[in-house]
Amino acid sequence: MRTRRISVIVGGLVVLALFASACDDSNSDSGRADTTTTTTTTAPTAPAADCGNPVASLAPLDPMPAPGEMPAGSYMAEIQRRGRLVAGVSADTLLFGYRNPVTGQLEGFDIDLVREVAQAIFGDPNRVEYKVVTYAQRIPALLDGSVDIVANVMTVNCERWQEISFSSQYFDAGKKILVRTDSPVTSITELDGKRVCAAAGSTSFDNLQQYPEVITVPVEATSDCMVLFQQGTVDAVTGDDTVLAGFVAQDPYAKIVGPAMTSEPYGLGVAKTHPEFVSFANGVLEDLRADGTWAQMYSRWLQPTGAAPAPPVAVYGRAQ
Amino acid sequence: MTTVTPPPSTPAPGTAPPSTPPPGTAAPGTPPPPTTTPAPAVPTVPTAGARTSRARELVVGMFSGTPGHMRLLGAIAIVACLAFGVVSYQAATGLRSDIGDARAHAEQLVRVQAIRTSLVQADANATNAFLVGGLEPAAARDAYTTGIATTARTIAEAAGAEPDDATALERVNRVVTTYTGLIESARANNRQGFPVGAAYLRQASRIVRDDALPTLERLVAVEQQRVDDATAAGDTAPTVLVVMLILTFIALSVPQVYLYARTRRTFNPPLVAATGIVVVVGLVALATMTWSRARTDDAIEGSYRKTVALATARIGAFDAKSAEALTLIARGSGAAYEERFQAVSTDAQNAIGAGFADRATTEALAEYLAQHREVRALDDGGAYDDAVALATGDGAANEAFRTFERVSSAALAEQSRDLTDDLGRAATPLLPVAWLLLAAGVAAAALAWRGMAQRLREYR
Repeated sequence: MRTRRISVIVGGLVVLALFASACDDSNSDSGRADTTTTTTTTAPTAPAADCGNPVASLAPLDPMPAPGEMPAGSYMAEIQRRGRLVAGVSADTLLFGYRNPVTGQLEGFDIDLVREVAQAIFGDPNRVEYKVVTYAQRIPALLDGSVDIVANVMTVNCERWQEISFSSQYFDAGKKILVRTDSPVTSITELDGKRVCAAAGSTSFDNLQQYPEVITVPVEATSDCMVLFQQGTVDAVTGDDTVLAGFVAQDPYAKIVGPAMTSEPYGLGVAKTHPEFVSFANGVLEDLRADGTWAQMYSRWLQPTGAAPAPPVAVYGRAQ
Repeated sequence: MTTVTPPPSTPAPGTAPPSTPPPGTAAPGTPPPPTTTPAPAVPTVPTAGARTSRARELVVGMFSGTPGHMRLLGAIAIVACLAFGVVSYQAATGLRSDIGDARAHAEQLVRVQAIRTSLVQADANATNAFLVGGLEPAAARDAYTTGIATTARTIAEAAGAEPDDATALERVNRVVTTYTGLIESARANNRQGFPVGAAYLRQASRIVRDDALPTLERLVAVEQQRVDDATAAGDTAPTVLVVMLILTFIALSVPQVYLYARTRRTFNPPLVAATGIVVVVGLVALATMTWSRARTDDAIEGSYRKTVALATARIGAFDAKSAEALTLIARGSGAAYEERFQAVSTDAQNAIGAGFADRATTEALAEYLAQHREVRALDDGGAYDDAVALATGDGAANEAFRTFERVSSAALAEQSRDLTDDLGRAATPLLPVAWLLLAAGVAAAALAWRGMAQRLREYR
């Protein structure tokens, strides 16, 4: 049973890695905006508010201030004075942000990113107060100032740029579906009349609206989808392949199928009022890409065997 | 008991004669002859009419003249005495069964509250064990298992005690079955390090709150209404007894006054004795019923209210404890759970606020709530790990809660024992009194017959 599970996990991750590397290829030829233009063509989600290239962020801070010496008047200085970075994260997305039941501590790729940001501000990665936010709470939490930064598998898109700012892209995911291992289904188009679960407030939920024949079952937290799936209440779950890979790792009777329906570039969310903090976060991400930390994080959480692909290439040039 | 002035109702048989004769003699004495006249007006069917008129003449003859009047009055007195015995017997046993019903419903209420308590208790233990992380402490697991076992046993007892509640209890039973399944799924996932366990736990908590607890709350309301109804039904018994006592007294007094007026004898000893028996036994029964009613009211106002208050406070407190754990598990997105904490802990405080609980219980609850504020202050201040430490294991907040649990459990056990005892004691003397009333009625009827027969013999 255990070996079977691992093989399924690895299978899911291979799919994930293939997808990520496919994106990297398209990045490498033309460097700039091609990433999204090539992949998003498959699914024009919301009536996209035009914001140019969604993954283009603000230029990174250069030079980066030394830890513990944040420039006066900046938002980082305020965080430093407070003594801790408040981060909105997930507690139920295995691999990205989840509460390890054994230790009770939060772990994952997103959590590591937040710790790196705290390291850059304080010189101490532990100076973080985690606030677990559901998908629907991510933007409101930034708007009301209850969190400084959101690191919760958050897709960068033009609609969200209207309300908040994003760092440069730190991960490239894609929307797929999760079905039982014995299911013949290979794509969302075969799920007409079937019950499909998605977390409210997620791009997955929005994406499902394009398939009116599919019966959408919204839940509050993404892990509730997994409970409903295991109980047989829903036939499939849709979500980012990253999140679904976490589900497969917990359930040997689940598999990820289908071509990626959309591209989901992840970025760190920051309130629009703190452009200097966006630039600071971009500076942190620059360093992570350059010094190989990103690759280590990838290997640690997403691909225990084999080499990590190159990180998504950062795109800058946004004015505000 | 015989001719000497009967103590409680002194004015009646012995001393009153001078004032009473006019109504007594005038009313039944003179009119009988005229009342016979309507008879000939009826005969429309010849044969039947003839027969009925002959029968009527016979009856009229039997009850006309002095001996006839004596017969009539004697018959009324005898019937009245028998009616007194039977009706007041029924009133006393009715009161007894009303108190018994109140007791049975109150006991059922305690059982339903116990189901609610053990269910929220099990859930509080499960969520708290989960909050600790890692392998759950054996003690927490034990407490959960005990809570579920108590729930299952109490559901069976309650369904057996009041079959009317069986449908609702069956529903609760189904939820409990699903609940334990979900908790075990949460544990199994937890043990393998799968975070989906948290989602199972949330779902488990949700079905208890959305399905089982509201069903039980409705059952509690129904049971409370039944207790109130049974208590209110007991009001009729003393009234019935008083009315019967007055009617029987009149029915026994009238022939005595008549005999006093028609014969030279002042007293008719058997009739005086019958009156005495009815009055004395009636008043003793009335006093007993009043005492029973007062005891019942005391039990309802006292141990019953306290039992309900303590049970409500315990349910609120356990619910609050699991809301505290869920707030910490949600870690920042638990505002809704904290709101629930505030709501249910306020309910708990209000329930035992108005002096319905002993000092130890009230203080233990206040102490826990103070500790909870400390937990929230730590968590809101970013010291999450410290907050969890305070709320679990040997943390001060967890200790304060355990103290409340222990103290309130002892207080509740004592109060519900008192409730059963108080209501049992209130009903105890009613059965002998009921038999006494029946015996008194029969004895008085026999004496009345004897008294009238003596006088009638003088007319042969």
